[in-house]
Amino acid sequence: MKKHMKKLFLLLAMISLVAGMLMGCGGKKESTESSSSNVVKEEGETFIVGFDAEFPPYGYKDDNGEYVGFDLDLAEEVCKRNGWTLKKQPIDWDSKDMELKTGAIDCIWNGFTINGRESGYTWSKAYIDNSQVVIIKNGSGIEKLEDLAGKVVVVQADSSALAAFTGGDATEENIKLAESFADLQQVSDYNSAFLNLEAGSVDAICMDYGVAAYQIEARGDVFAMLDERVSSEQYGIGFKLGNTKLRDQVQTALDEMNEDGTLMKIAKAWGLDESVCLGDKGTDSAYLQDAEESDDSNLVATLIHVVEQLSSGMIATLIIFLCTLACSMPLGLLICTIRKSKFAVLQAIAKLYISIMRGTPLMLQLLVVFFGPYYIFGISVPASFRFYAVIIGFSMNYAAYFAEIFRAGIEGIPRGQYEAADVLGYSKGQTFWKIIFPQMVKRVLPPVTNEIITLVKDTSLAFALAYTEMFTLAKQVAAAQASIMPLFVAGIFYYLFNFLVAFLMGRLEAKLSYYE
Amino acid sequence: MKLLEISHLKKSFGDLNVLRDISMSVSEGEVVAILGPSGSGKSTFLRCATMLETMDSGSMAYVGDYAVQDVDGKAVYADKATLHKLKNTFGLVFQNFNLFPHYSVMKNICDAPISVQKRNKAEVEAEAKELIKKVGLEGKEDYYPCQLSGGQQQRVAIARALAMNPKMIFFDEPTSALDPEITAEVLKVLRQLAEEKMTMIIVTHEIDFARKVADRVVFMDQGLIVEEGRPEDIIDNPSNERTRAFLQKMK
Repeated sequence: MKKHMKKLFLLLAMISLVAGMLMGCGGKKESTESSSSNVVKEEGETFIVGFDAEFPPYGYKDDNGEYVGFDLDLAEEVCKRNGWTLKKQPIDWDSKDMELKTGAIDCIWNGFTINGRESGYTWSKAYIDNSQVVIIKNGSGIEKLEDLAGKVVVVQADSSALAAFTGGDATEENIKLAESFADLQQVSDYNSAFLNLEAGSVDAICMDYGVAAYQIEARGDVFAMLDERVSSEQYGIGFKLGNTKLRDQVQTALDEMNEDGTLMKIAKAWGLDESVCLGDKGTDSAYLQDAEESDDSNLVATLIHVVEQLSSGMIATLIIFLCTLACSMPLGLLICTIRKSKFAVLQAIAKLYISIMRGTPLMLQLLVVFFGPYYIFGISVPASFRFYAVIIGFSMNYAAYFAEIFRAGIEGIPRGQYEAADVLGYSKGQTFWKIIFPQMVKRVLPPVTNEIITLVKDTSLAFALAYTEMFTLAKQVAAAQASIMPLFVAGIFYYLFNFLVAFLMGRLEAKLSYYE
Repeated sequence: MKLLEISHLKKSFGDLNVLRDISMSVSEGEVVAILGPSGSGKSTFLRCATMLETMDSGSMAYVGDYAVQDVDGKAVYADKATLHKLKNTFGLVFQNFNLFPHYSVMKNICDAPISVQKRNKAEVEAEAKELIKKVGLEGKEDYYPCQLSGGQQQRVAIARALAMNPKMIFFDEPTSALDPEITAEVLKVLRQLAEEKMTMIIVTHEIDFARKVADRVVFMDQGLIVEEGRPEDIIDNPSNERTRAFLQKMK
């Protein structure tokens, strides 16, 4: 009893600590806002541009491993004119707001859509006009937007394509269009969107025109673009709210570049000259708005709201966890048995399996399980396979670890136990299940507990297959709210989950300690 | 009637000839004590006889049925079913007890008769209670091995062997892992079994015990039976030089 009280106190202390940190975040926001973040950048200083490195032609990693792109070239030129040193900082798109708020980057310059985000950032003038278009696999029979009824459409998480369908400013036509889809899925990057499209697990991708044109050129004639467009939109450079001084410096340089033709030259080099709109009428409303950050409503209400938003992710995580455990333990025992087989060939197969599963990243294994059927056997995978692929991938990986833990547990049991069973006439099966297995279970409990706790945290890797579990959802919500709180809530969830796991395993261990 | 007949048993581990040529038979109700220095092959002999080790050549029969036959100098084992049946005729008590640590005293004794011999549970349990009483462990039915002393554990192991109703029991140095002061409680149980005419083959270092209890003493050295006969002849009046040297050392 006393021990439990101690644990409870520890838990309470932990929660209050996190709550304190959350409050701290909330309070700090206002003070830094007005004082330190709106300053002119002097000559010789570094200008840090945040961009998603998987967004050609605006910013991406080329074949030589260099970060290149239209936006980065523009940034380079702006820096040259201001006497700054450019630092290209690839960021995780879901974390862009935290990057900007904390000052880790000076701006987001990455084919960054203004529409719908007008009041979230201090904007430059729009410099590119882009439209949302639909990409399909050639020969799919889809020719018009209405043909997308009953199809699976994929967009990038928090992308303007997503906003065009489900955002607050989405047109009624687009909302109706989205409702006609069988499913509107989100992926974290375009590369996996194209992998999905090619593998047949989705029917269409909705994305920015400029990116689409580039991808189609780069990937050959496997894909095609629909003539009909979903929406049109503009790109701007996003600065931290209130950081107008830095914005003005950049804008001045851009305006100069527009006048002397440098902007057009760079745009031509990237095939974007048709999209340039800097200085066009009616494109600078966001620039003129100069939005100020409004204070968040009360903390508890926000917290409850976040927990509500994350609840579906929590359930998804729980399901992955339970299914993986239920599959990987028996599979681990089977692999352990094969590993201990008398036949050298079987033994070698099990050894190889374990060595591959332990020697390669789990994320890679998940990708192979999901995309393998198509790329190796040419079988197109349905969208529903996503969940099974997650479970199969996790189970195969964890089974390898469990197999080795079980093997160590079995090998630690004294020879005499087998001999006593043999002399008493127990069959091999009886010896294993009645004598060896129960003793093995007790021996392996501590390492198995470790493994299970790791599994709770590893479930977040399901994002690699765009399966929306807890952590992916927390990142999406954090990005949408431009707040770090969902991530803290996710952290507390994982901690409580593991606290429970450790508690239950401790109870089980105590229950089995009736002997030795 | 001969319960066990072994002839020309040979066993080697690599180049080491552990058992060079052993023949021995045991009649019903006989108590045989096997003596000999360490490394003489006593334990290997017991392990071959109980089929925990396979013999290289020679033959072995239990109650007249062959478990192993010698074919052109090679030991050929009988089929699985026969071996399983013959294994039922003997029990073995280990030096280290080898009780099942996750089973209570009661379950250690009852499990094999119930799940291997498929006997009636209530009947086995009633019999087990009698056996527990016999080895002096009344009231310890629900204890786990780790809660018992070495002497108590060994007595549970004896009860476990007896519960299978074997025709004979092998003992592999049953008191070697015990403190001298608790050896007596185990030897007392063995003496009682001898009085009940239980057939026993005992590998032991307890010379006094062997003299008092055994009908026959077998002295082994270097993989051979050097001498055998009545305990008073072998122990008090050994004819062989090596037997004499060994007995001298044991005193």
